[in-house]
Amino acid sequence: MSDPNPHTLAEKPHMNPYWAGLGLGLVLLGSFVVMGRGLGASGAFTTAVATAVHTVAPAHAEGNAFYAEYLGDGSVSPLKDWLVFEVLGLFLGGFLSGALANRLKFTIEKGPRIGNPLRLLMAAFGGALMGIGAKLALGCTSGQALTGGSTLNLGSWAFMCCVFGGAYALAWFVRRAWL
Amino acid sequence: MMAPFYKFGLFSEEMSLVVAFVTGIGFGFFLERAGFGNARMLAAQFYFRDLRVLKVMFTAIITAMVGLFMLSRLGYVDLSLVYLTPTFLVPQIVGGLILGVGFIIGGYCPGTSCVSAATGRLDGMVYLAGMIGGLVGFAELYPLIEKFTKITALGKVTLPQFTGIPYGVLVFAVVLMALCAFMAAEWAEQKFGGKAPGKGALLEPVLKLTPVRGFALALLGLSFIAAFAGSPYRGHAASIDTRELALSAGTKADHVSCTELADWLIEGRNDFLLVDVRDAKDFAEYHIPGAMNVPLATLSADFAARNEKVVFYSDGGIHSAQAWLLLKALGFKSSYMLFGGLEEWKDTVLFPKTPAANAPTKEQVDFARRAAVAKHFGGTPMEAMPAAAVSTPSAQPKPVPALTPVPAPVVPAPAPANAPAAAPKKRKEGC
Repeated sequence: MSDPNPHTLAEKPHMNPYWAGLGLGLVLLGSFVVMGRGLGASGAFTTAVATAVHTVAPAHAEGNAFYAEYLGDGSVSPLKDWLVFEVLGLFLGGFLSGALANRLKFTIEKGPRIGNPLRLLMAAFGGALMGIGAKLALGCTSGQALTGGSTLNLGSWAFMCCVFGGAYALAWFVRRAWL
Repeated sequence: MMAPFYKFGLFSEEMSLVVAFVTGIGFGFFLERAGFGNARMLAAQFYFRDLRVLKVMFTAIITAMVGLFMLSRLGYVDLSLVYLTPTFLVPQIVGGLILGVGFIIGGYCPGTSCVSAATGRLDGMVYLAGMIGGLVGFAELYPLIEKFTKITALGKVTLPQFTGIPYGVLVFAVVLMALCAFMAAEWAEQKFGGKAPGKGALLEPVLKLTPVRGFALALLGLSFIAAFAGSPYRGHAASIDTRELALSAGTKADHVSCTELADWLIEGRNDFLLVDVRDAKDFAEYHIPGAMNVPLATLSADFAARNEKVVFYSDGGIHSAQAWLLLKALGFKSSYMLFGGLEEWKDTVLFPKTPAANAPTKEQVDFARRAAVAKHFGGTPMEAMPAAAVSTPSAQPKPVPALTPVPAPVVPAPAPANAPAAAPKKRKEGC
């Protein structure tokens, strides 16, 4: 992952996955108890995209049923939204944890057999697919798999099986990127 | 304890954004701790080299699931108020497959890419840009695929509802399945990744109760109890705190006066349900605009969500008081009665009495306002009565507005939405 560099502090090892899972589970449970809702991620970006489009082309955004759903009735800014603030926290939390473990670094995560341009192209393409998939499924791994999984939501469990199914089915074909 | 706290109005929307930010910090912190800011570590899941994704995700799922079940079963959390994303089976299956393919190609999911970008990973930042592109593409194509996104709509449905298996039994089954999957994962990591189960693994080769094993056993034990604990939903069982009840009855905190109600309706407030508990026949003859009809005999726990503010009325006060008591016992926190009932409504709101000509100015001004309100609701101010007639109010004709339409030339306020029962327009709550 990283070459030994005498000028930076050594990265600390990652947390035991079970304890990280417990921590994440307690955050999720806390959200259920305090807010009556779970976690999310993709929804905040959709709100941001809808708001941006609305700023540039108001008529276009209002005429599109998909954007309209994220814009609300116009009485408050769509960005004054739970998920938007949660995702701002998500960035900060990730940054804090990374800083505490000496893992902050400008780098590209990839396997040794793939070049940077192709890796970045794959990241962009994978991201685009994720955006489409998450909207079709009404949520991503956070909103559907974690939140819906722990509330035994029917659609979320069907979704979760398909995420793993889709990823495993294609894994062999893109192994050069990771192994 | 009334949880979910926010749904019972224990803090404001502004405060909820602070909660969101803090929750997000916790979320991001543990994702990064787990190593999920690193695409290669996430992708290792799909080559059986390092099954962290499975372990972290399912530990989080079963922790939150068991916790939520127990807190609901013990009566601390009203499970029916925890948001469920509605199920659209086929779109979610197709979306899941696309998302899985995007995961293995891009190396992240939306949440983990945020953490990756926040810790400086360029691939995470590019992934986020790609995702925004995907969202714009989806939105632009939406008119073409809107029909497809709505097929196989099953509504808000859980696995217990769909399969008929009791909630607690499923909780136990999921925990058991997850723990077996963890052990299988540790075995697979050794076989495919050459990584022997070390310290902190369930299969760590020592014969003792390590903290991780203790945690796994605790989850297994709690979920085993859950399997026999019955439904986590509150159902029709009632319990009453008699002192709290006496206090709210004694201080008249449970009253809404007719003039208050009239003001709320004119303002178009829609944060409460106005419920008429009389028979359907009486309701059809006359009811306060915007009221819904729930005859007392049919009143049960599921007629509204427990965090809903409900105002009851009947002809007098008895039936609405009984309805109020019922709902208090069922755990509704904001239940009110219209003081004086419909009789008082007619006297004070629909047919206010004209003050005598020599009454003080203040009274005259006040009457003008009340007359306007009366007209708004289709009533009419009554002429000032001679003293003798006032003493026998039962002799007064009390026409029901619906039967004797009053020509109302002046409407005092722009007509409000006549349906306080309608939910306020909300934006999407899900992810």
